[in-house]
Amino acid sequence: MRHVLVRALLDSAPRGTGPDDAIVVEELAKRYPNGTEAVRGISFRVRAGDVFGILGPNGAGKSTTMGMLGTLVRPTAGRATVAGFDVTDRPLAVRRRIGFAMQEVGVDELATGSELVVLHGRLHGLSRREAARRAALLLDLVGLGDAASRRMGEYSGGMQRRVDLASALVHLPPVLFLDEPTEGLDPHGRTAIWETLERLNEALGMTIVLTTHYMEEADRLCDRIAIIDRGRIVTEGTPAELKGAATLEDAYLRATGRVLELAA
Amino acid sequence: MSSATWLLTRRTLIQFPRNPMVLGFSVAPVLMMFVVFGALFEGVKQLPGFPTDNYFEYLAPAAVLMTTVPGIANAAVGLATDFQSRYLHKLLTLPVSIGSIMAGRLLADGARLFLQAGAVLLLALALGAHIASGIAGALLMLLMGTLFGIVTFGVLTANLALKSKDPAAVQAVFPMAFLLIFLTTAYQTEEQVPSGVLRAVIGANPTEYVLRAMRELTLTGFDWQTIGVAFLVIAGLGLIGVPLTAWNYRSVYG
Repeated sequence: MRHVLVRALLDSAPRGTGPDDAIVVEELAKRYPNGTEAVRGISFRVRAGDVFGILGPNGAGKSTTMGMLGTLVRPTAGRATVAGFDVTDRPLAVRRRIGFAMQEVGVDELATGSELVVLHGRLHGLSRREAARRAALLLDLVGLGDAASRRMGEYSGGMQRRVDLASALVHLPPVLFLDEPTEGLDPHGRTAIWETLERLNEALGMTIVLTTHYMEEADRLCDRIAIIDRGRIVTEGTPAELKGAATLEDAYLRATGRVLELAA
Repeated sequence: MSSATWLLTRRTLIQFPRNPMVLGFSVAPVLMMFVVFGALFEGVKQLPGFPTDNYFEYLAPAAVLMTTVPGIANAAVGLATDFQSRYLHKLLTLPVSIGSIMAGRLLADGARLFLQAGAVLLLALALGAHIASGIAGALLMLLMGTLFGIVTFGVLTANLALKSKDPAAVQAVFPMAFLLIFLTTAYQTEEQVPSGVLRAVIGANPTEYVLRAMRELTLTGFDWQTIGVAFLVIAGLGLIGVPLTAWNYRSVYG
């Protein structure tokens, strides 16, 4: 059923080719006005079509990095381009090409799930009919077909995360940012999201950047992983390179020198 | 209007009936105040030189402003609520400018206030008031009241919402709107204001010039000079308020 829904969704998807590197980050840094140095000069590249994972303990700078790439947080040094556009100079051009599912979900509690996804599709320039078609498919895909006409104030936290993901996908963006996308979901919901992301990545060549605490998630989905700690990238590579002979969890603990805080 | 602004205006318009308490309580006190003040101060019309023998007629423009000026703050409350729920952050990951987000809110609440202030005028008519400039004048009065609300209290509270990100902080400034309206000739003529200082304060209050134009529309008809002055005041306040809000946004989120 899920494959049928994804296929229907992809019928109208553009399959344009973007730059080879969907994301280029060079010495990117963020110092907040209170003096906190959340990110201290990180650099990495994400090839178009890759799934790139950012792992790290709480407060490591993962969400700030995502915020800067998603144009929500203004960098204080360095530069970054997403889909070929500078995040500081061309934020609207970046936003047209990204989807962003957030760690702390922001939903409009007075709107229904369907209204929210349709609105986001329309704001991305979809016609009313196409936005409605994709909203129906996506809400089915994330298991909210039956709740589509209910107001989101009545949704559980997990349902809100899923509708947030659906709204981030409605315009089938070339680059998708997912900040802890399966946090708080039950194993069934998590597997459903993984399968959907794998299909979208495979069929559309969608570049996906995700942060996660779940080693299993990173291992299964990511082509490359950066481990970030205290605002710096401490190691980067494919899951196989990072694991060596051990597990990804061992590699994480070795790199950060910390106990895993929220790992499953 | 950009399509993003219209889509966001529509979003708010659709949601108004889903919050009937806000819809009701944003106009019910004004309707009650209109009736109570009209009865309490009815004696004022006996004073020499008072321009009408129906006090509700004199009071109607003030009642319109009592609806539109404090009422527009609901737009800022909505903005701060979107910030607290982090939905504003979500909107800012879309190809939408903060200007469209704020304009969407203000326009939707402006449309609501236009209709609610219209209900106040209907009550005035039911209480025996007569609007000399007819339906066209009444619509112009509602437009003036709504635009004035947007460029004064709308801009003030939107800036407060941007800075504080807290709906409670926005609600705390509601009483200031009443001060803005009370320091005018809304309830009695200028000759009846006892102190010279107060008269000077009234003369410096931009609300007074919009109120005068609205009162002319109610009591005598279309006086294009006072109407022109009112629209100049509204445009001037808008020319100050809109760039100030843009600058404030950049200083907070830039």
